[in-house]
Amino acid sequence: MKVEATAYGDRKVYSVGAFNRGVSSWLQRLPTVWVEGEVTELRRSDRWASVFFTLKDPQDGSCLGVSMPRGQFDGLRLELADGDRVHCFGRPELFEARGEFRLRALSLERFGLGEHLAALERLKRKLADEGLFAAERKRPLPLLPARIGLVTGNDAAAKRDVLTAITTRFPPANVLVAETYVQGPRAAGAVVEALAALCREGVDVVVVARGGGSFEDLLPFSDERLVRAIADCPLPVVSAVGHEQDTPLCDLAADVRASTPSVAGRLVVPDLAQLLERLDRSRAGLERGTRRALDRERQRLDRARERLRRAPRLLVERRRAKLEQSAGRLRALSPKATLDRGYAIVRAGEQIVRSGRALEPGERVEVELAEGGFGARVEETR
Amino acid sequence: MTFEEAQRELEDIVQRLERGDAPLDEALKLWERGEELYRFCKERLDTAEGKIEELASRAEAAKP
Repeated sequence: MKVEATAYGDRKVYSVGAFNRGVSSWLQRLPTVWVEGEVTELRRSDRWASVFFTLKDPQDGSCLGVSMPRGQFDGLRLELADGDRVHCFGRPELFEARGEFRLRALSLERFGLGEHLAALERLKRKLADEGLFAAERKRPLPLLPARIGLVTGNDAAAKRDVLTAITTRFPPANVLVAETYVQGPRAAGAVVEALAALCREGVDVVVVARGGGSFEDLLPFSDERLVRAIADCPLPVVSAVGHEQDTPLCDLAADVRASTPSVAGRLVVPDLAQLLERLDRSRAGLERGTRRALDRERQRLDRARERLRRAPRLLVERRRAKLEQSAGRLRALSPKATLDRGYAIVRAGEQIVRSGRALEPGERVEVELAEGGFGARVEETR
Repeated sequence: MTFEEAQRELEDIVQRLERGDAPLDEALKLWERGEELYRFCKERLDTAEGKIEELASRAEAAKP
């Protein structure tokens, strides 16, 4: 926003609003930082969009006003009391309407969390070195679990989300819910117990679901006992703990990690409609395939019968053809055919004359032609 | 036999039948087996009651 000054001679004068806006926009360029201090004068109301408190330096008593969006503050569930030491992450800000300087908090952690984080990191490395998080340990989820175990808190949202997701996708699902503590010092042990109880009851897959919460809220889900119990669980485990950005160690040990309870619900059951459709398609294919095999056999049979029926006629025809051929050859050999070509048969008495020397001049011979014949006398012989 | 195994076998049989190279005797056997697998799968879906039970373990689990 442009900051306009009014000129009085050579003096540039800003209105209060313009000044505050100018300082505010300049402050916004400062980087985000972590500030450590003690919480005092915490003010929170459901009617306000922000929560306010003052950070006090325990050494020299310096104070810094802090505001934080209420939803974000509530989401952390820190339950801060006056005097609690915190690390506050944010950027400096000017509340323009009042010209008040303060820290706009984006995140807040109870002091000592760094220690927690380091311990968690050490545990994570140790368990990773043991191979607890290894990809080859991950088991596939059953396609159609007969019974699904659900470990959840009395945190209605997470439980409802899982159940809704399951029953929407697969209405006939059977779910055994083990409600347990999911927060506080007893939570880790309680979840381990619930897991064991579900295994004893006989389920095919277990979902561990817990809604979002503060870092401390989710700590039980990084508890070594709990993480080991999940890794050692004889059944596949789906973990849906916290929000997308949280990665409690149980998420790493589980066979499948779901980003939200709803996703976990959808992961553990098949889509019934799709499953039925696929099954029906298979059955149709089964009938089609069998009918095809039958049709093929029937056709082969029909062809065989056809050939069988034609066989006798074929035989007769073949004989007839052979006969015709013989008759032809016979005809070709008969003297008639020779006479037709212009030859003549000469007989003397009963004898056929084959040589001139067999005749005497003046002897009578009979000549036979293709058509008729005649009698003749021999003039001379050669 | 799990549902998955039954479904996979059923689909293998359908493929085999649709290739059309199985002799009749075998085709009929495959078909019979396929129908059996179909009934098995269908039954698994039909007999699931769809119930949500609560495990009364909270009291035990709560013990420190």
